[in-house]
Amino acid sequence: MKWIRTVCGLAAALSLATAAHPAAAEQKFKIFLSMSYIGNDWQAEAANMVKAMAASKDYRDKVDLQVQVAGPDAQRQIQQINAMVQQGAQAIVVYPISPTALNQVVRNACARHVVIIAYDAEITEPCAYNVHIDQPEAGRVTAEWLAKQLGGKGNIVVLTGVPGTSVDTQRTAAAKEVFARNAGIHIVAEGVGMWSQAVARTEITKILTTHPWNEIDGFWVQVGCYTIAAMEKEAGIADDKLKPCAGEGANGHRTQMLAANAPGVQGANGSYRPMGEPSISYASPPYSGGLALKLAVEKLEGRDIPKLTTLPLPVVTNETVKLCQQGTWAEMQAGCNVFQPATIGNPGWFASIYSPQTPQIGLQAALNGKPEQ
Amino acid sequence: MSASAVAGRAPPRRLRLGRHRGPLIAAAVFLALLLTVDLISPGPFSYFEFGFLSAGGAALALAAMGQTLVILTGGFDLSAGAAVSLVNVVLAVTMGPSPLSQIASFGVALAIGAAIGAFNGLFVAVVRMQAIVVTLSAMFIVQGITLLVMDKPGGSIAAGFVATFTADAIPGVLPAPVAVILVAVAFWLLLKNSRFGVGLYAVGSDGEAAFAAGLAARRIRFGAYVLAGMFYGAAGAFVSAQTGSADPLVGRPMLLEVFTAVVLGGTRLGGGRGGAIGSVIGAYTLMIVVNILLVLNVSAYFSSVAEGTILLLAVLVASLNRASPVAAYVRLVRTRLSARGGGKLPTRATVRRAAPPSSPARPPAGAHWFTRNRAALRLVMPAYAGFAIVLAISQVLYGGTLDNVGYYNSLLVLSSFLAVLALGQGAVILTGGLDLSVPWMIGFVGILTAGLIHGADAIAAWAIPLGLLIGLALGIVNGLGIVLLGLPPIVMTLAMNGILQGAALLYCNGTPAGFAAPAQRWFMTGRLAGLTPVVWFLALFVPAAALLLGRTVFGRRIYAVGNNPLAAKLSAVPVGGTLIGVYGLSGLCSALVGILLSGFSGQASLGMGDEYLLPSIAVVVVGGTLITGGRGYYPGMLGGVLLLTALSTLLAGTTLPDAVRDIIFGLVVLGAVLALRERRA
Repeated sequence: MKWIRTVCGLAAALSLATAAHPAAAEQKFKIFLSMSYIGNDWQAEAANMVKAMAASKDYRDKVDLQVQVAGPDAQRQIQQINAMVQQGAQAIVVYPISPTALNQVVRNACARHVVIIAYDAEITEPCAYNVHIDQPEAGRVTAEWLAKQLGGKGNIVVLTGVPGTSVDTQRTAAAKEVFARNAGIHIVAEGVGMWSQAVARTEITKILTTHPWNEIDGFWVQVGCYTIAAMEKEAGIADDKLKPCAGEGANGHRTQMLAANAPGVQGANGSYRPMGEPSISYASPPYSGGLALKLAVEKLEGRDIPKLTTLPLPVVTNETVKLCQQGTWAEMQAGCNVFQPATIGNPGWFASIYSPQTPQIGLQAALNGKPEQ
Repeated sequence: MSASAVAGRAPPRRLRLGRHRGPLIAAAVFLALLLTVDLISPGPFSYFEFGFLSAGGAALALAAMGQTLVILTGGFDLSAGAAVSLVNVVLAVTMGPSPLSQIASFGVALAIGAAIGAFNGLFVAVVRMQAIVVTLSAMFIVQGITLLVMDKPGGSIAAGFVATFTADAIPGVLPAPVAVILVAVAFWLLLKNSRFGVGLYAVGSDGEAAFAAGLAARRIRFGAYVLAGMFYGAAGAFVSAQTGSADPLVGRPMLLEVFTAVVLGGTRLGGGRGGAIGSVIGAYTLMIVVNILLVLNVSAYFSSVAEGTILLLAVLVASLNRASPVAAYVRLVRTRLSARGGGKLPTRATVRRAAPPSSPARPPAGAHWFTRNRAALRLVMPAYAGFAIVLAISQVLYGGTLDNVGYYNSLLVLSSFLAVLALGQGAVILTGGLDLSVPWMIGFVGILTAGLIHGADAIAAWAIPLGLLIGLALGIVNGLGIVLLGLPPIVMTLAMNGILQGAALLYCNGTPAGFAAPAQRWFMTGRLAGLTPVVWFLALFVPAAALLLGRTVFGRRIYAVGNNPLAAKLSAVPVGGTLIGVYGLSGLCSALVGILLSGFSGQASLGMGDEYLLPSIAVVVVGGTLITGGRGYYPGMLGGVLLLTALSTLLAGTTLPDAVRDIIFGLVVLGAVLALRERRA
């Protein structure tokens, strides 16, 4: 049994040594970011913005941020948040995999005075703070735009998000309510879009086999307008005959919304070019994580923050779409909302990165995790 | 026991320890990881922490125990995660505040699990259909029902129910989750030592022999699925308590982890060896990885890489001993070297080759084609029959389908991805393995090539071959890990998937840039003699794939390895080389799909391959391939591709709710295979 005691002794010595170590960073708030699945474009961009916020000159001396990825399984995020609490977290910024599955662990964390703040998706446990857009509003505003654009009648195709999630259910239900009020609007096909341009392409291809272009008057999608316009061009539809599409805030989509003769666009190619697509672009903005971090620090500094921060819904139409030259926060403040294709190689990249509350993070934050200046 | 008795019975005793080596080593690995976490994290390991950790892995552990029962009989249960979700939503909808209702709820949870298990058991044990096809359709049907019960997260679970499972069984001594697991383990031990338990192992080791020995193989299989379902039910009840509410998607991502936990715990896919205790340890090992990543402060992009590496090391440590493949290969090389020195290499020996015997079993060449290929046709036909029915329904619903070239063209373009993947995944499955690295092999190669190409045809001319080579090389790495290190295919390829995810994120720094070359786009969306070029490519690919599997030496070896690796080895089939070749082929196919997909979409995106893992397995098995290897044909797999693509095309054109589509999907898969299953005389 002697070896066991030796091992235990060693263990104790080591854990003492490591425990003594982080004392240097005592003034900083210990904040964790618990992400879900990182393997999609939105998540990676949002993570970059959180990291940039923590690295900005306003926060780098205040915040000790550790980023962790839980993966798609809620069980693991539960375990992860518990472990963060054990590690002495003062605040945890969370992208919750499920709005309900984390409730118990969040309640435990709150009981130990850890600030829990969720971005983009929600946590329904009342002690958590939430930062997100009004999902039903997103569905309603875009559906109303499409109904108006079509003059209240026509056949439309709907592309939903991930079935079984609150975000998808709320957006789709609100949109369908609007369409139900317009007796002339008929949903002829409904695809499952999974919030992915790649999936949108396969779903629309499937739908077109049974509902050809000439039988469709418009699209209401959660992600996919960019892909749809590209497919219309492949089918030989002229720029001025493009069908109205209510959809995502992708940079490619907003570029297509620019008037076909828009000046100063660099790096346009193929379908990733101005073509005056009649469209409304909304987004769940990826700066929400950065804002959540900022709010968490405010709370830790003793200020009150609201339980729910409803982000203004970023809506861009053909009338308001405007090209950014550099993509600095100051330039975006002046009203630009789409970036040069030469800078943003991926048309599926999410362009709604401006918030008046986050002057620390601009285009470089979203792209490379680097703060402004 | 007296000393003399011990001495007298020493050999069987060592044998017994040897039999438990799997779980023992798994436990040692887990304890090592736990100690690492404890060493690095500040503060002593408290009862509080013990409680948290025990709760974290409990649901996964329960589900993995259930899966173990099925795997021991040689089966495969894909409905585990779906069952957990269904139990979760039903409990949240039905549970009242009264204690009686809460107790009844636990009964309901077990009953739902048992019902799903009975459905699976009925078709697997009684109707004798392939476990993976049955449980795949059960998974879809159960997912659909779950969404019908609850279309978004919500609901709440009574506080008493929550406390029973997650608070303390004995305050300060025994957290409730530990008690739950102990009860489950006790149940397993009773089961294992019963007649039923012996039967479980017997059926899994050799079903025919078990049947011949008078075991009620059918009843044992059926029972295994029902009991497994009850374990999933218990897991669902635990998840409900742990989360205090419901989410219709909560169980879905658990599926892959359940299999990993089972394999980590030393249970062999294919049946007959392993046990549920190992799976419990495997489940907790998977969960403690989360803590390890945290205490080591592994950065986000590296987390999937680190996780994959930990997984590999955990299995590797467990498999390192004198009997391990590494040791065997070292011995083999040493023997060969000494044989070379002594001039005794078998290739130098003169052997009189006998003429190959003419096979008398083969019907005379004049017999009707159908008679000669009856066995193959019976495997291949269900998928095509289902495809024909779906086509007919499409015609009735939409009209102008059957005679519309555009419809077939779109269908074939959409099928091309799965048709290519089916060759790789199919070849892997024919050897009795599985390739789970498909999603990020697609994503990594797609992102890498699109990033290099940046819309330039001139670069595409070398970047596409380079991408294909990288896919081939990474696939070969999979094969090397499986053959040389003796890693289970599920673990090796899952780890590879995680490593490639990290590599893709690091390469593009979270934002994949670049887009496909015009030639790539033309290939997937343009026109050549009235059809999309990829359809013409498919017309060449399909016969080539069928020939590769059916008519070449490599193809023959795949079947030989899948039927019986030992017999293949003794018949001078290079088993290792064949396996490496098969995983290389699968890597190549995934890489090709990554390039095709980025041509189709115009650019590559993170997670672009995520939608293809399950379908790549589904089409192979719906096409009549045996998941345990050795039986199946490429034309059948192609039939599976056409059936599933036509079905999803049909459903996409409707406005049916997703829940109903899932159910239809499940029923069609089941129905197609049921209609023309193997009939016994």
